[in-house]
Amino acid sequence: MSSIAIVTVVSSFLASAVEFVEAVTIVLAVGVTRQWRSTLIGTLAAVTALAVLVVVFGTAIAVLVPIALLRLIVGGFLLIYGLQWLTKSVLRAGGAKARHDEAEIFAREVAALREEPPVPATGMDWISFTVAFKGVLLEGLEVAFIVVTFGASANLLGPAALGAAVAAVVVLLVAALVHRPLARVPENGLKFVVGAMLTTFGTFWAGEGIGISWPESDAAILVLLFAYVALALAGVWAVRTWVAPQGDRAAASAEPR
Amino acid sequence: MRYVRAFGAFWYDFLVGDRWELFLGPIGALLLVRLLVVARVPSDVTGFVLFALVAGVAAASVGSALREAGRPRG
Repeated sequence: MSSIAIVTVVSSFLASAVEFVEAVTIVLAVGVTRQWRSTLIGTLAAVTALAVLVVVFGTAIAVLVPIALLRLIVGGFLLIYGLQWLTKSVLRAGGAKARHDEAEIFAREVAALREEPPVPATGMDWISFTVAFKGVLLEGLEVAFIVVTFGASANLLGPAALGAAVAAVVVLLVAALVHRPLARVPENGLKFVVGAMLTTFGTFWAGEGIGISWPESDAAILVLLFAYVALALAGVWAVRTWVAPQGDRAAASAEPR
Repeated sequence: MRYVRAFGAFWYDFLVGDRWELFLGPIGALLLVRLLVVARVPSDVTGFVLFALVAGVAAASVGSALREAGRPRG
């Protein structure tokens, strides 16, 4: 397996793991609060829909769209998407934005589901089905998007899908074992790494799409990744120094006079 | 019509979200660097310019988010 294929598998695995952790939180909340059977059918239906989307769109895009145009469009999307993840991670790590908390999201989902009509005594509970289907489909669409873009740009649909599939198996196994939201997964840290990776690949492919011949070819990916990570870490430090005075002032005003 | 609007809203939220500059910034950066490529500026320069513009967009967005959150400048 080439180095770019390995990076593709790792990127796809990490990005997918983050999204699957969020999907599992929703599935667990619905299953625990309402009915497991309908929840699992909803989950399975969403996973099937996503697999079809990846195969159909991944293959069609790779076959029909010229590679230079494909890299520009896909690279542009990855760049936009990666920057969103990276900047949010920098703000979270710097303390300027609330961290993603799966336990809190789980509690909120459970509370909302308890206000729904009771589970029918027999047959399908369509509320469980719909909430699980929608949750898994929406979170999974981000995974499908990443797998299709990676697969199409580098002609590596297989490795990208492999990374996502391994992430799904790992997250599902852990969720089945612990049977509660995966709050201990360092989701914010993972988003930081994935954001840097998506931004890197986005810059590289979109750059190729507009006609840049990167010096040292694929090795430029590692240089870009290192540079983005270094800048993002500097950004975290800058945000912390920006945020800290507010905390100091709040503490000072709370002191007894 | 409701589904079309919901479909549009989903993609808007997916790509633009609450930070429009992270959508328009990279597009502007790519357009600008494309002009440099057409003007036959060497690839190592255009590559660096693209990286610097993207990093600048990210920094501006983080700064804008901090200002909107009402944080002091220190």
